[in-house]
Amino acid sequence: MSEAGHIFEIADLNVAKPGAALPELDRFSLTLDAGQIVVVLGEAGSGKEALMRVLGGFSEKGDAISGTIRFASGAEKPAAKRLRPPIRIAYLPNPLARPFAQHVSVLAQLSRVLARKTGSPQASAREELRLALQRLAGAPSLEALNRKPSLVDPVVQAWGLLACVSAQTPDLVLADHSLADLGPTAVSTLLATLAEEQKRLGFALLYATGGLQPAARLGGRVVVIRDGRIVEEGDAARLASGHAHAYTRILFKAQPQLSLEQAKLRGAARGQPLLQVYGLDLLADPHNPSRVRDGLTFELRRGASLALVGEEGSGRRELTRMVLGLDRLTTGRVVFDAVDLNVLSQTMTSRLRRRIAFITGADDALDPRMTLWDTVDEPLRAHLNLSNELIAGYREAALKRVGLASHEGKRAVATLSAFDKRRLQVARAIVGAPLLAVVDEPLRGLDAFAQTIMREVLTDFRTHQGPAFLVITADFTVAQALADEAFVLKDKKVIERGSIVEILRAPKEAYTRSLIAAVTLPGLSQAAGSV
Amino acid sequence: MRTSSQAAPMLRTILHVVGWSGLGLIALAVVLSDFLAHAPAGAANALHMLEAPSSAYPFGTDLLGRDMLSESLHGLSVTLRHALLAALIAIALGGLSGAVAARLPHGAGFMLRGAMGVFAAIPVLLLTILAIGLTARLYAPLAAGLAAAPFAFVRAFDRVDRQSRSTHAQYARATGISVAMLLRRDLTYEFRDTLAPVAARALAAVTIILSTVSFLGFGTTPPARDLGLMIGAAKAYYLQAWWTAAFPALVLLVLILCARLAAGLDEGERP
Repeated sequence: MSEAGHIFEIADLNVAKPGAALPELDRFSLTLDAGQIVVVLGEAGSGKEALMRVLGGFSEKGDAISGTIRFASGAEKPAAKRLRPPIRIAYLPNPLARPFAQHVSVLAQLSRVLARKTGSPQASAREELRLALQRLAGAPSLEALNRKPSLVDPVVQAWGLLACVSAQTPDLVLADHSLADLGPTAVSTLLATLAEEQKRLGFALLYATGGLQPAARLGGRVVVIRDGRIVEEGDAARLASGHAHAYTRILFKAQPQLSLEQAKLRGAARGQPLLQVYGLDLLADPHNPSRVRDGLTFELRRGASLALVGEEGSGRRELTRMVLGLDRLTTGRVVFDAVDLNVLSQTMTSRLRRRIAFITGADDALDPRMTLWDTVDEPLRAHLNLSNELIAGYREAALKRVGLASHEGKRAVATLSAFDKRRLQVARAIVGAPLLAVVDEPLRGLDAFAQTIMREVLTDFRTHQGPAFLVITADFTVAQALADEAFVLKDKKVIERGSIVEILRAPKEAYTRSLIAAVTLPGLSQAAGSV
Repeated sequence: MRTSSQAAPMLRTILHVVGWSGLGLIALAVVLSDFLAHAPAGAANALHMLEAPSSAYPFGTDLLGRDMLSESLHGLSVTLRHALLAALIAIALGGLSGAVAARLPHGAGFMLRGAMGVFAAIPVLLLTILAIGLTARLYAPLAAGLAAAPFAFVRAFDRVDRQSRSTHAQYARATGISVAMLLRRDLTYEFRDTLAPVAARALAAVTIILSTVSFLGFGTTPPARDLGLMIGAAKAYYLQAWWTAAFPALVLLVLILCARLAAGLDEGERP
């Protein structure tokens, strides 16, 4: 390392993609000291991705790069050259970005990476990985990784990647949105573990993110970046205090917070019952349904809202699929709009479903071949006999409501950003005038700004059209923003139910408390009455 | 500089352009064949039998003194017309019904897929010869189209079935979008995106089938001669007059190559 203890010094770095009007990074300078944590915070396209590409040594060949980088005690070199840093750099990707080849086990791939990085035989690397996993509190066993990636839960993959990074004893760790969207409790546990490992091994950490969780939980210096330039930097508490650049203030304001104040009820228990569920048991044995004793019973009235809060595997999706008649019920009864779904034929159930809209965080929820206009028009053409003029009118109004009216209508869905696709789903839901909107992790994978807009779009949809909302999420901030009541699910059972504010005020179960704690950011809660 | 991931689509685009340009030129040559050819189809000249290529006869002459350049152009015209008809039948019957079958309920589609899979497992050449045997040589293009249809059916079925199992199709069904609407989606977008390469691939495949059938003597009936029949007719004196088979074969090769390039060198229908 250099005398000053710098891990790297970047000076006047410019990165531009061929043909792009604006550079991704514009005269960007940054210094990272040994053992320091820097969180690079910005929206999608702010330039943090380009920074990671250059530092990680995997910049695209078409990139026009200028500026210099000096690693530790090495000489200052042009950033455009293939860098051979004199320090050990470990890369921590996000498991949801599919960093693994699909045909080889996760364990084999991690062992290979570790063996190459440390110059040890693969068998030794495997043992190193085992030891690293044992050292990390809460990490799975090595055997859990010995499967193909498609069979390994992303959270387990994240533990494996973290163990692999730790076993490299690196000088610098580059974390590229590494733990985003893995579920609140998993994210907070993994971030805490990463912080512990950073303290233990003393490596420098550069964490690129679009959300505030890493900034709040890792500590260190936060560098706010926009349009390839640094807006300002400082510790998270100062930036959140309000004495910051206007852009930073907006960014921090975008962070959703839990409120203990009772919001005015947006229609809970108003209107006729829309969805009635009697005696549904997710744990029932389909071969012996008579053994069910107390299934789940609840009703959702027209215009009301209910959040099913739980992490992956909690049973929230199974419950939704059964309630909507997509999966066969093993026990109980579901009545939708006064019709028992059990006694309907497939055709009739399908007709009933036209009053249901889905808005999900899955980017493949829309047909990528369709155009923007066709995607919005389809529910109208499928269910109603309207003239082209009327359809165009409804489409325009819906696209305007979600902020997509200025987009080229003939553009294919495949070319849209994740944020645009999400808004397009809402536009499609709006024209369908549904009685029930199933909203499944609608903010997943979006940066803080996009999440704020998406929340507003969904709230506007609910306020103006008044469908009942069934929200599926692991995040209590999302649940509170979009619903009034919640069921907390764990291991396919409802462990707690009631109004969200009441649950936040006095959670009865430890699991509920952990879910709330996972989205409560230490040092960043500003509003009175927030958790 | 470009990465390999950027270069691959560029190379594919170049191949497409070359292929479709070649097919365009061939189509032009066929349209203008009566003007480009020195002699009408089948015009014999006993004074110039088996003449080697020269300035007067660039492709030489055959046993009856027919100008091979003119004959190759006329043969190309016959081959292309028959191949286009056969490809149209294969796509319309096989491709369209395969796409519709993939959306049929209650496993009916899969039963059809299984039945067509059996036919698709039989070499198309044998099926074509069988169909010609049951009808007449006159119907060779129809026979080739029908024989290639099961293969087109299976490919279209699998493509649309993949779409129907996709997440977006599941979400669409969950919101009450009917099977008919989803089929409309497939016909609109799948065919829009794949029709050109599928047509080019089918053209290459049926050209090979029809030429082989004619070469074996089951195809085009004289006096009309396609390229396969011309090559077959030159078998007897090929060693003495190579040009009588080589030039029609070269023209055939160019036609098939252009069609395969236009299809992006995608795996063709099995002949």
